[in-house]
Amino acid sequence: MSFLTSAVRRLVLALARSVGSKIVDAETGAVIGRAFLVPWRGRIAVIGLDAEVKPVFLPQKRLTYWKQELGFKLHTPPDFPHAVRPQHPPDPSAR
Amino acid sequence: MPSVLNILLTHQPADAVMAMIEWWQKWVARDSILLAYGGSREDFAAIPHEARVFVDDARLRTRDHQRERQSYGGVFRAAAAWMQGRDFTHVHFAEYDHLPLVSDLNQRQLALLADERADVLGFHLRRVDDTNCAHYLQHAADPDFFPFWERITCRPDPRVVLSMIATGSFWTREAFDQLAATPEPHPMYVEIFPPTLAHHLGFRIRDYGPQTRFVRNFGDRVSEIENARSAGAWTLHPVKSRWG
Repeated sequence: MSFLTSAVRRLVLALARSVGSKIVDAETGAVIGRAFLVPWRGRIAVIGLDAEVKPVFLPQKRLTYWKQELGFKLHTPPDFPHAVRPQHPPDPSAR
Repeated sequence: MPSVLNILLTHQPADAVMAMIEWWQKWVARDSILLAYGGSREDFAAIPHEARVFVDDARLRTRDHQRERQSYGGVFRAAAAWMQGRDFTHVHFAEYDHLPLVSDLNQRQLALLADERADVLGFHLRRVDDTNCAHYLQHAADPDFFPFWERITCRPDPRVVLSMIATGSFWTREAFDQLAATPEPHPMYVEIFPPTLAHHLGFRIRDYGPQTRFVRNFGDRVSEIENARSAGAWTLHPVKSRWG
């Protein structure tokens, strides 16, 4: 990566993380970070967010046909119990 | 009686490796240290530490680790082969730049593993499926990725994907041996494959909790050693310039 490309990328990231949209957890309301959200060709580019989030359509108390909102939420920390393992695990290379 | 093998992965020259082993000997028994070497064969031959394995695996020797999906599979397989016939009950895996800071490190890890009723401990353990995690998204684009987990999982949701920093993981012997015995049918990154595999094989994997703040991906924390120890750190990562 050239020096110029790298410098521009650092600048955009710094801007996104300082003046970008505030991203909050849709369930808890906790502030996750800031990022630029850019609609582009039917998709939304998330630029500069320094967290791992899932996009979710938000529940709405009032029924509206003209607007729905997309938000973000964090996974809960992994806390899975043990699972019963088969005596002979399947061959991972088998198809 | 639990017995922990400390696997240290390094590629550094012989003198730096011996300085690292001297440091580690302050905290764990020398005969509990297995050196996994990813450097040159010449340097490997010059290292006067008996318990060592040379890892001849191109998937370890990547340049752009993330995009080439660096793997520690060769390290795990070599270590598991070395352990055969030896009675270690647990495995602590650390990279060369991950410093131990307390004399009862392995005992603390065993106690935490027992408290969590877990088989594996990892740093920065998180669930990343369906998120913007760049590593997850790159793997999700691979048509073989999800079918692999569907084939091997013993859990109800085969789409769960976990991630953790590669260094500092702590394993029961059974979980480690199964990790080493499961080949990657296609390249998967070292931060994705081990924790996700452990989960889908039915093992319980947990984060180190408060210790996670003393481990991060980037930088050189050589100036933070004493402060970290005072703040309660068991280990510190990354400390890249400690061995020269």
